[in-house]
Amino acid sequence: MSTQDKVKINKLPTGVPGLDEIVGGGLPEFSFNIIAGAPGSGKTTLAHQFVFANATPERPALYFTVLGESAIKMLRYQQQYTFFDPAMLPDSIRFINLSQVVLEKDLGAVLEQITKEVEKSNPAVVVVDSFRTMVRKPESDMDLQSFIQRLALFLASWQATTFLIGEYAEEELRDNPIFTVADGLLWLRQTAERNSIVRKLQIIKLRGQDSVPGLHTFRITDAGVQAFSRTFGLTARKRNPPSNRRLSFGIPELDKMMDGGVREGDSLLVAGSSGTGKSVLATQFIAEGVRHGEPGIVAVFEERPEAYAERATSLGLDLETPQKDGKLTILYLRPLDLSVDETMQSILDAVQKIGAKRLVIDSLAGFEMALSPGFRADFRESLYRMIFALTGIGVTILSTVEVDESFTEFPFSTYSISFLTDDIIRLRYVSIDGQLRKIMVVIKMRGGNHAKDIREYEITSKGVVILGKRLTHYQGLISGIPVHSAQSSSKEEPPLDTGIEHKT
Amino acid sequence: MTAAPGMRDLAHRLLTYEAGAGKASEPMESPTLRVYEKLRQSLGEFVGAAGFYSLASRALALAKPEAPSLNAAQVAGDGALQGLSEIETQIDLNRDPADEEGIILIARLLGLLRIFLGEALTLSLLRNAWPGEAFDDGNAGNGRKT
Repeated sequence: MSTQDKVKINKLPTGVPGLDEIVGGGLPEFSFNIIAGAPGSGKTTLAHQFVFANATPERPALYFTVLGESAIKMLRYQQQYTFFDPAMLPDSIRFINLSQVVLEKDLGAVLEQITKEVEKSNPAVVVVDSFRTMVRKPESDMDLQSFIQRLALFLASWQATTFLIGEYAEEELRDNPIFTVADGLLWLRQTAERNSIVRKLQIIKLRGQDSVPGLHTFRITDAGVQAFSRTFGLTARKRNPPSNRRLSFGIPELDKMMDGGVREGDSLLVAGSSGTGKSVLATQFIAEGVRHGEPGIVAVFEERPEAYAERATSLGLDLETPQKDGKLTILYLRPLDLSVDETMQSILDAVQKIGAKRLVIDSLAGFEMALSPGFRADFRESLYRMIFALTGIGVTILSTVEVDESFTEFPFSTYSISFLTDDIIRLRYVSIDGQLRKIMVVIKMRGGNHAKDIREYEITSKGVVILGKRLTHYQGLISGIPVHSAQSSSKEEPPLDTGIEHKT
Repeated sequence: MTAAPGMRDLAHRLLTYEAGAGKASEPMESPTLRVYEKLRQSLGEFVGAAGFYSLASRALALAKPEAPSLNAAQVAGDGALQGLSEIETQIDLNRDPADEEGIILIARLLGLLRIFLGEALTLSLLRNAWPGEAFDDGNAGNGRKT
């Protein structure tokens, strides 16, 4: 059978930001879905969003309420969400209460009532909230599984996309015959971790199309449920082929050390202890990009955007004008109770909004601390996913990380995140001739040349300035306590390394 | 505390409409009962009989201090209003609406809907029950025009 002979399944928008991406582009038309989860996990709100996104006067939505939240209170609360449009009631959306039928009759009568209403209204969407509360009478002629099967058959034949909402605990997921009938099973979870609530959703089952596997963070705001795909909505985008273009720091000597600059699409880690100039370097990197017409994003966690821009001004770098021109966004992210995915989505949105080519995350420690404690366990994994997604579309990322200064070790990062960076620049203090001076070395450049030189630098009113000569008169520089080399008697200036280290 | 003026006006309009409509179809039924039954039918669809009973009994309780003659009325378990016909004869629209038991009761019921659902949804509900009527009265709310 050729592709053109196969039935095409239309995908309906869920009305939930981020969820379309997770379910593979939208929910299959005429599918029979179950939204399950604990009380307060957002099941009803999610169903409402779908209803408001898809109902029309010609093909309305029927929302059957059973025993549970009273319909009038449900409408009272749901209309607080921005997606709720009262003008759509009752022409496009009808709420029908089945409590009386459930209380006085059996499931057969409930099915009959639903059938009657569906035949009368020809709906595109049917919701039964909550279908679990219908199973009240053990002596009922029709058990719940039979009811679900007949309902599913009927509603699919009537070309309705259906949602049954039910409160289920995790352990009920196994061997539950009702879930077998469903085409789609969306599971909403919420757990309390330390002082914060962590909400996650999972597409346990979705017939007919690929969904993004795993647990996805979601949040309930004034706009309703908002989901944050683990792939940040970038799965559909192809990864750019590796670029050979180099991005300048605006610091000629550093560019030389990096064989012309940072390779476009790389993730660069600048590691050093407090005061070594990580943020200065990051500011110069972003300012140089803007100067070359490359929009940039700076995500700051430890100081406010105004302070960040003011500090740049003191270095002779203008970050105010590009912000006004829409070429630069300084994001101040101190969410405290947000998920890591949600925070990263804010960064991604900003990147996509201005078409950013350079991104600075200053700093990873601040980023982690800004997260709700419950989400910190996900930090490394989520960071990896975001960096992979962004570098894949050609964004060059500079992250700063503070490392404890040790005079016995030379750590690159306290986060064990070196694996997710292509390039590493290490800054550190060193004790020389009775002074605390600073040295810089390019540790790694994946797939490119870089100098092996250990260079001394200073932070001046013009930013980071690399001093003119390589430090050859000392040994053990990276220990921070070098010893004067015995060979230091030579007066000859050593040549600078022009980039002979080749890493793959 | 009395029913809000906007709700009284709206109730008055509904009763006037039903008084006119009733003359042609069912002249013996009071306008108050006709309005009440339409609301019961329309509301009952989505709040259920028990839900409507709760609202109606609350509205009646609120209306009784304003119109003591309503003391004889009661809401049955299925939401039906009982005892009103004994109190109310044919509504006299020339009387002051504030004295009219039916207007007070309906205004209280509409007032509860406005409190719980907001004006937009309340008007939307009324448009559904009275498709021919325009409920874009500034006193009643900010609903869409029909």
